[in-house]
Amino acid sequence: MNTHKKHGFWHRFFFSLDHKDIGFQYMLTIFLMVSIGGFFAYVFRMHLAYPDMKVPLFGLVTNKDYNMLITNHGLIMMMWLALGMLLAVAGNFLIPIMIGTDDMAFPKLNKISYWFFLISVILMIASFFMKRGGFGGGWTMYPPLSVGDFGYNTPYKSFADRFFTANTFVLLAITFEFISLLMGGINFFVTTLNKRAKGMTLTRMPMTVWMINIASVLFMFSVGPLIAGAFMLLLDINVGTGFYDAYRGGDPLLWEHLFWFFGHPEVYVILLPPLGFLADIISNNSRKPLYGYRFILNLTLIAAILSMMVWAHHQFVSGIDPRAATIFSIFTIIISLPFAGIILAYIATIWKGNLRLSLPMKWALGSVTLFTLIGGFTGLYLGAAVFDIYAHNTSFVVAHFHYTLFPTVIFGSYAAFYYWFNKFTGKELNKFWGNVHFWLTFIFFNGFAFPLFLLGLAGQQRRIADYRQFEFLMQDPLPLYRKIATISAVILILSQFIFIINFFWSMKKGKKVSSENPWQSNTLEWQTSSPPPHGNFETYPVVYHGPYEYNHPDREKDFLPQNEK
Amino acid sequence: MRIFPENASSYGANIDFIFWLITGVITVASIIVIFLILYPLLTKNKKRTKKEMYVKGIGFKDLKLIYLGIFILAVADFYFLYREMPYWTKIEESLPKKDLHVIIMGRQWLWEFTYPGPDGKLYTDDDVKSINQLYLPVNKVVHMDIQSYDVIHAVFIPNARFKQDALPGRNITRWVKMTKTGKFPLTCAEICGIGHANMKATVTVLSEKDFEKQLAKLYKK
Repeated sequence: MNTHKKHGFWHRFFFSLDHKDIGFQYMLTIFLMVSIGGFFAYVFRMHLAYPDMKVPLFGLVTNKDYNMLITNHGLIMMMWLALGMLLAVAGNFLIPIMIGTDDMAFPKLNKISYWFFLISVILMIASFFMKRGGFGGGWTMYPPLSVGDFGYNTPYKSFADRFFTANTFVLLAITFEFISLLMGGINFFVTTLNKRAKGMTLTRMPMTVWMINIASVLFMFSVGPLIAGAFMLLLDINVGTGFYDAYRGGDPLLWEHLFWFFGHPEVYVILLPPLGFLADIISNNSRKPLYGYRFILNLTLIAAILSMMVWAHHQFVSGIDPRAATIFSIFTIIISLPFAGIILAYIATIWKGNLRLSLPMKWALGSVTLFTLIGGFTGLYLGAAVFDIYAHNTSFVVAHFHYTLFPTVIFGSYAAFYYWFNKFTGKELNKFWGNVHFWLTFIFFNGFAFPLFLLGLAGQQRRIADYRQFEFLMQDPLPLYRKIATISAVILILSQFIFIINFFWSMKKGKKVSSENPWQSNTLEWQTSSPPPHGNFETYPVVYHGPYEYNHPDREKDFLPQNEK
Repeated sequence: MRIFPENASSYGANIDFIFWLITGVITVASIIVIFLILYPLLTKNKKRTKKEMYVKGIGFKDLKLIYLGIFILAVADFYFLYREMPYWTKIEESLPKKDLHVIIMGRQWLWEFTYPGPDGKLYTDDDVKSINQLYLPVNKVVHMDIQSYDVIHAVFIPNARFKQDALPGRNITRWVKMTKTGKFPLTCAEICGIGHANMKATVTVLSEKDFEKQLAKLYKK
């Protein structure tokens, strides 16, 4: 099964069927998308704090530019960074090797899924250069705004005129991306069910594998309504039907329901894979078994089911029946309970452990702390429907979802990068710059997001290009908060370059890893060479234990690899 | 420095109360969580036996403290719901008897307000209109028919703690009772195109007499 052969550049980046190569292709593509999304964030944050300034590298930001920037920042970060990094990249790199097999069940489908992803990226970037400008209707794309051209209201002259608009291209880009993720999800699921190594029962699988699979299945269950909705929106734009046009028998609220029916489970699709990484990293660095493996799994399944019943909490004041809002408020508040259980189980894992404060552990603890203390707890405010009347669509919401998504998506991904980099490259990341990167990100993320809570409570509504026209938002100290948020955001974005440079430099010239298993981990990916060859293992491993047997009383050393008798 | 803008409606204090209630409870919860995370960090170098470390958390006996944590949070959660749901019913689900009925219409990009004319009824020929200036009488229950002409807008009056989306083709009736006279901002809280940021109006709350005068003035125009 080991066909160890050096392949050229073209093979590695375009035609390889190896899951690690495909994961790497996904990763580079996503790095490109994140750079665009991050650049957009920099431009509009600068504009908010210094409205008259010509933003370096961009120029003066008009209202139209501003709407386009915030919309595409949201779309890119939600759809391409979060979903792509946590499902496609993590799934491709980790699932086959963690369950002890040579590759995906369908390597060619895997390759096709990457090509579709690439097409979606090209369509998305093309949408910025359409004649009528980029998409500026908010990332939630509420019609009727998303059907027209965001306020110019110049009538469409021909089908080509309608087709070559940002609206069409963004919808097509999302379609292609979802096709890609569906193919990926099927692949993960089939691989996990059918290709596990001998002895790898379902409850001996590492949490990462479980969580990526649950997330993929949740994605498949929830994406259907959105695809139907997006198809109708595409028809509204291109053929002139009126599915969302209230004056022709349609209803704009229909889109909100279809969108959030997908949109809310998607939040959990994004949240679950990082929870998996955290389980592996926290258990390994505490040198203790994961506390309550089955308990965590059961809670995750409960949360996944509950997550399909809370979508209308995005719509408390959108015009739905207020009595319905009560039900969604109750479910929203209840969904905090399984996650509290999971977080408490993680805390029980580190409780009285001999912690190693390695870099991945720092990211993991940072993630748990920020996600629980601020991201999770502020969800209670918004879940309480009556406070949401005030907070809905203010910066309070922006701060809340940055505090839930950033600690999970970004901190979780970095924890995974710093943990598994050694494995997949055979090199070590520079520790000093890793620490600098962690502390800068931790401090300036808070510096950026926390002032938004205060701004939101002062009544600052979202998505406003220029706050100077609102006197009540220009009273001291609100402009100062905006400046603190902007300066922190800029430093936050700049400090990510430390990681990018560290990443590529270490890959080329970094120190070679001293051993195959530097973290003394149990899971199978550490029981093969670094980097793993094509086919991953010299011989198929046989599994005898669960993944978290640290400090087993019968053993001399403090870890017990899964394939050791 | 105040956290919220000045409260000027009859139910604003209820919403602020829910905020402070939740803040109080989660402050306590945060202190507990911070302790739970810091304690293992501070005692990480202690010598521990393998038997102490090898705990797996299987069965109710091991998990009872976690269940207790979930239970405490559940009690807090349901207490929040118990306190906030009556307010939600009061603000959103019920309509107290009205003293005045107005229409708030959002369009790209201005607010159009309609008041009943001398016949005291809305949707008749003698209705009175004003653009970007909403006049309201103080201490009166005002019903608002919230509508939109083109895309989705949202009426947001921070001082009244009032927000409601305006949907095209739909009439949504909500109420407000202002308790202070003065000028308050009214903004749009749903992205509605390139002019979204410019869509602002002023709510002028007047005493009953001044309000009648103002309405008569508008009618003459």
